[in-house]
Amino acid sequence: MGNSTKRKKEKQKDFKKPKLKVGKAKAKPDNFTDTSFRSKAVVLTQQSLHLSAPSLNSQFSHHLSLLSVKSDSQRRDSLAHLTTSIASRPVNSPLPQPVSVILPSLLPLILDASNAVRTQLLKLLRTLPRSDVEDHVSQLLPYVRAGMTHLAADIRVSAVEVLSWMVDAAGEQVVSSAGGWIKTLNCFFSVLGWHTEESARWSSSRASFGKSGSQGRPMVKVLGALAEFLNAGVGQPTTAGDDPLDSDDESADWPFPLCQTSQHMVSQSSAAYAYLNLFGQPRDEEGEMYETREDRYRVFTSRFLPAIERGLKSAREEGGELGRASSAVSKVVKEAVSYGLGP
Amino acid sequence: MVKRKIGALEKVEADLPNLQHKIRRDPKSYIEDFRAQHYQYESHREIFMAAPSAATDTGVISLRDLIDFISHVADCYPEILKDFPQQLIDMLMQHHLVLEPELREKIVGSLMLLRKKELIDSARLLHTLFPILISTPSKTLRALLFQKILSELRSANSKTINHKLNRTMQTVLFNLVTSDRTSSKGVWAIKLTRELWKRQIWTDAKAVEIMKEASLSEHEKVIVGGVRFFLGGDKEREEMEDESSDDDAVDVGRVRHQLGINKKTKKKARVAQKAIATVKKKERKKNQPHPLNFSALHLLHDPQGFAESLFSKHLQNTKAKLNLEQKLFVLQLVSRLVGLHQLHIMPLYSYFQKYLTPRQPSVTSFLASLAQASHELVPPDVLEPLIQKIANEFVSEASAAEVATAGMNAIREVCARQPLAMNEALLQDLVMYKKSKDKGVMMAAKGLLSLYRDVGAQMLKRRDRGKDASMGLRSGEKEEKRFGQQELGGIEGLELLEKWKEEERRKKNLEKGLPSDAEDDEEEDEDNWAAWNVEDDEDSDDSGDWINVQSDVEIDLSDSDDDNDKARPSKKAKQDGDETKKKADAEQEQQKLSTLATTRILTPADLAKLAELRAQASVESLMPGAKSRRPGQTTTRHADDPLTAEEIEGLAALSAGKATREERIAHAREGKTEHKSKEARRKERKQEQGKSTTNREKARKKNFLMTLGKAKSKNKRSLIETRAVLKAHHDRQKRGGKRGNMGM
Repeated sequence: MGNSTKRKKEKQKDFKKPKLKVGKAKAKPDNFTDTSFRSKAVVLTQQSLHLSAPSLNSQFSHHLSLLSVKSDSQRRDSLAHLTTSIASRPVNSPLPQPVSVILPSLLPLILDASNAVRTQLLKLLRTLPRSDVEDHVSQLLPYVRAGMTHLAADIRVSAVEVLSWMVDAAGEQVVSSAGGWIKTLNCFFSVLGWHTEESARWSSSRASFGKSGSQGRPMVKVLGALAEFLNAGVGQPTTAGDDPLDSDDESADWPFPLCQTSQHMVSQSSAAYAYLNLFGQPRDEEGEMYETREDRYRVFTSRFLPAIERGLKSAREEGGELGRASSAVSKVVKEAVSYGLGP
Repeated sequence: MVKRKIGALEKVEADLPNLQHKIRRDPKSYIEDFRAQHYQYESHREIFMAAPSAATDTGVISLRDLIDFISHVADCYPEILKDFPQQLIDMLMQHHLVLEPELREKIVGSLMLLRKKELIDSARLLHTLFPILISTPSKTLRALLFQKILSELRSANSKTINHKLNRTMQTVLFNLVTSDRTSSKGVWAIKLTRELWKRQIWTDAKAVEIMKEASLSEHEKVIVGGVRFFLGGDKEREEMEDESSDDDAVDVGRVRHQLGINKKTKKKARVAQKAIATVKKKERKKNQPHPLNFSALHLLHDPQGFAESLFSKHLQNTKAKLNLEQKLFVLQLVSRLVGLHQLHIMPLYSYFQKYLTPRQPSVTSFLASLAQASHELVPPDVLEPLIQKIANEFVSEASAAEVATAGMNAIREVCARQPLAMNEALLQDLVMYKKSKDKGVMMAAKGLLSLYRDVGAQMLKRRDRGKDASMGLRSGEKEEKRFGQQELGGIEGLELLEKWKEEERRKKNLEKGLPSDAEDDEEEDEDNWAAWNVEDDEDSDDSGDWINVQSDVEIDLSDSDDDNDKARPSKKAKQDGDETKKKADAEQEQQKLSTLATTRILTPADLAKLAELRAQASVESLMPGAKSRRPGQTTTRHADDPLTAEEIEGLAALSAGKATREERIAHAREGKTEHKSKEARRKERKQEQGKSTTNREKARKKNFLMTLGKAKSKNKRSLIETRAVLKAHHDRQKRGGKRGNMGM
């Protein structure tokens, strides 16, 4: 009706002849499609082409920077590259980069989500020279502790592995650094679930949360690490025989009237005055440094001995591999207790 | 099957939210897991504290997640976490400059959460957040902190007013403003105070004191903030109150109706319950007595000292760095204070002298301020030169019409407040402008004329006085007011009550068959008291309203402002005649009411009736039919309201040249919406409500071709078929549609 007349008009409009005008461009038809286009070009002003291959050093630092990329495999490969370049360097030559530069980018990888990266990281750490590790224990420890209490069981295990490497490499520094004794022991206990009487009982589900496909083996590893750690901390000092030798050396260094002069000289160790804590946050009891075996033993007996005995008992009762592993720990504890506060 | 994408967290099963959920359900069993996470938090914190500025995103779980997790379950392990709030506070206080923004926000949020769980008290929280608010350079953090502080203060005051907290906070703000007057940090004190004032959480003198100190600061932003508060804070508060009573109006009937129709779910029931609760709450609120809210200007201690120091510090001082606009704000405040509290600042008037020229930018604001600053107790010889100057500079045949109008209006406003400032010659000169061709000027002159007919008729020429005034003069009832003379006070609307009582008594007497003049006052009085006691609950609603009782002086002032602008001159003479008669009546009533107020005690019922009558009278006077204007009544503007530049410009718009046709069309269109037919409006409404079209409409719109087939076949139906169709149709109608609508 009304619509149809309108339509008719519209239809007729299509067949009207367009008027051409002088000096004007021809009118475009209705169905004209604009086919012109513009493009944005990516222009490379300069390509990094070199005639010579990058030096080993620059490769090393390049891979160091790749440690923080998103891709798991890239991180793993970079770690592998770093490992080989450190391991295959000529004997007695220095590291391509000092440890203090390498370490900050390695540390976050202790908490990395990927298993392969963490395994590779451990390999890399093992290639590092021991003497260099000693100075950086206090940086490493917080990450290791964070790893030991991580929700993911795999990360916990690899952190324990890193810790046992550290104890192996620089045991004295680990147990005597700030927070290294009490806090680390706390972490051990929370991994093992030995804190409270309640949780030490065999019937209670310990370490209940997180991935639980980690029963036998990881616990064995943790117990082994704990034995090493305790041995380093409160074990019988094995250097008893060395002492006279050392004193002999020292007395040999200084001529006759001077005696015990080495005690008065500037300390040879790095951060000799760290215990003064001049620049850091104020420490509480847990974060304090316990530098001598005596201190550590005192703390150990007052805070941890009952819990550890309870835990060991239940572990022994469990038997099997776990029980065997626990016997190593109990041996260390027995020795420590028999040695007491020291001679 | 498609391989499912696994998130990083899922891969390693580090699912903090899951653990959080489990802990909340059974805190005791998961204590070991929590302890592990707490150690983890401690180690992360250690790592963070060693290098606060370094990126903290370590591996799968960041410190941020841990803080979030721990603060969510903090109430389950108060013993383990007794240091946790302090740690967060330290972290924020010491490192807020270098913290990454997300972590910073998380810490602030966690602190608020801990406050909600009542693990820290609000004083401690505010003492943490406020210093950061002042010192941080980050805009987002400031916005966040401001909002959090505000909400904390609001929630602390939500149930009962937390006087202790308010006092400490006000002291902190006060010290902030007063400690360093040159710094811009006072802005935060102003923002906070203003916001809390607006929400009626702080309504006391101490808050005003903060603003007072702020306006005496030396930083422009702070000054302007403080001054603006005094000029607009109360209005803002009123608006806020209106708004809050208007909004979220829930239609309970509608909610109930929907509940009956829609699917019944627990959520819907909850929504309905909530709606009913809010409505009830609002009802209760409505019945509560209105809180006594004094305006900030009234809560000032020592307004004289404040106004003086404002004036000398920001206006008189040549070293003041304020620009013109800011100066005008200060001037407005000073003049407002002077007018409201009737202060004496003599140098203020000579200060105006410099600015009263038509070339001065925003001179109308200056004129308005001058008018505000003049009151009854200002010596006339201080104001007289100013009026003379305005007359000379603004009002002349040569000056533009707008200028003359503004000048004349300003003179009228000043003289309304202090009539003695005008001299006879000038007045008679100015009154002559009532014959001006320009409408604005003419109206302004007439305004001035009618003002002086009221307050000083003997200064006018005999023929300008009008009947009313000249009769008053002759009878000696209208005499010039001396300087400093005060009107006697009374109870507003008492004569109305008197009249009403008289009528009631007459009615009663008629019923009883007594002569209408018989007296039975006492009996009635007792009745009133009794009635009051019985109906106590109901009536308290009426009398709960807060009514501004104005003193007579103020009424006088504001009365004469805008009365004559609208009054038609042709009716004027007639009105005057009426008024004389009214005046005589009023005279008699005046005597009567004094006896009423002094001989009897007004019962609460009386007072309630009085309020009612007064409200009625004020409504009636606003009706277009109301002819006469009662002296000392019907004020459209309260004395507390400021006088603005617009009022001075007033009818200047009339003096402007004729608008072009386009302008006039645009003006006419302004308020109106486009014309729409009734049907179109109905359709729009339906669509708005989300309703569909009716069947009839659908049928009407149906494509013609689609109906064709049916129409054709209809013709070819046999009688039987037709009957069947009709029958079916009838049945359907009866059933109410195809599916039936019987509610089976």
